[in-house]
Amino acid sequence: MKPRPPTLRGKKRYILARIDPIGAGPEPREFYYIILDSLTRLFGDTVAAEVNMVLISCESGYAVIRCTRGFERQVRIALSVITNAGEQPIAVRSLTTSGTLLALKSRLARLPRHQGEDFGELSLSGSTYSARRYQGQKVDLVEKGIKSQELLFLTQDDLEEL
Amino acid sequence: MVTDTCVHPYPEGNTTLRRMALEAGELGFDSIVAPVPRESWHSCVRIIPSVIIDEPDVRKVSGRIRNLSKEGVLLMVNARENGFNRVVVNLKGVHILRHLHKTQKNSFDHIAARNAADRRVAIDIDLYPLIHSSGPTRQKILQRYRDIITLWSRYGFPLSLSSNAYSVLDLRSAEEIPLLCSLFGLEETDAREALGTVENLLTRAGPVRVLS
Repeated sequence: MKPRPPTLRGKKRYILARIDPIGAGPEPREFYYIILDSLTRLFGDTVAAEVNMVLISCESGYAVIRCTRGFERQVRIALSVITNAGEQPIAVRSLTTSGTLLALKSRLARLPRHQGEDFGELSLSGSTYSARRYQGQKVDLVEKGIKSQELLFLTQDDLEEL
Repeated sequence: MVTDTCVHPYPEGNTTLRRMALEAGELGFDSIVAPVPRESWHSCVRIIPSVIIDEPDVRKVSGRIRNLSKEGVLLMVNARENGFNRVVVNLKGVHILRHLHKTQKNSFDHIAARNAADRRVAIDIDLYPLIHSSGPTRQKILQRYRDIITLWSRYGFPLSLSSNAYSVLDLRSAEEIPLLCSLFGLEETDAREALGTVENLLTRAGPVRVLS
């Protein structure tokens, strides 16, 4: 089949987003449906269909999303109202928009890869937490348990004061 | 100065004040307002102390304002019915009337709006319920905020924007907030201006004083 000439192809925009907390990235398929659900809830099926959203990649806490040109604003709003992936609380922060995937990938390559460092367990107000330290003073505590694991967000200074 | 008008650090939320400031700085804020006793700086972000008054009776609100009112502390009162709101915006020392989305539709009318504009009392737009709710609840909140924006465009009272974050995950960046505000008809430039309202509230002109 002969490919459609560039002048007849739809114009696209690419959005780079970061998924917080670090290391909480959902599965790409699950994340695609989360964004689509958020988009549909906010703007309805008609706009969601026009947006033609595609999740290009979702790895290392960053996601690249493609949409129809002119609908970047709607996608960014839909991303900003995402609050959880299943049971897990998350936040999706749109970082930048680009007209080409190449430009966005070069931008993505310059972004820091958050690599945490586990440093044991902590006991706090009767609960046990596993601690993980990240660049820039950040420390995340995850409660050890089977159900509803509580998260605590601290800094290195807070930890030293505990 | 780009300010998030209300955050709730640990123990109310799950994020310490330092971490909240660190993340807010990364998200483009210069300052955050938190219910803490004194002003401080963390990670180049100014922490503005605030008091949130949640009382059903105006006399109790007035009494608490008299005890709490001091320079540099932002006084916020949770809105209630129409009569309450009209009186509260006229009380000396009140900076912000918040949680209007939790009240009835007629609780903030044109008279309360005019009084708020005259007394330079800001009306807070809380983005937390907009982000965390969906369906009819979100639709009602959007309607209420549209009403407020209509009154704001007519009377010009100060507007403030808050994430009301209990966690770093509830914070939204200074770029995302104007986008969210566009959902209820607030222009991007106006939303950016509203992010700087807190500083104006703290340095608002008082009565003329003779210095020497």
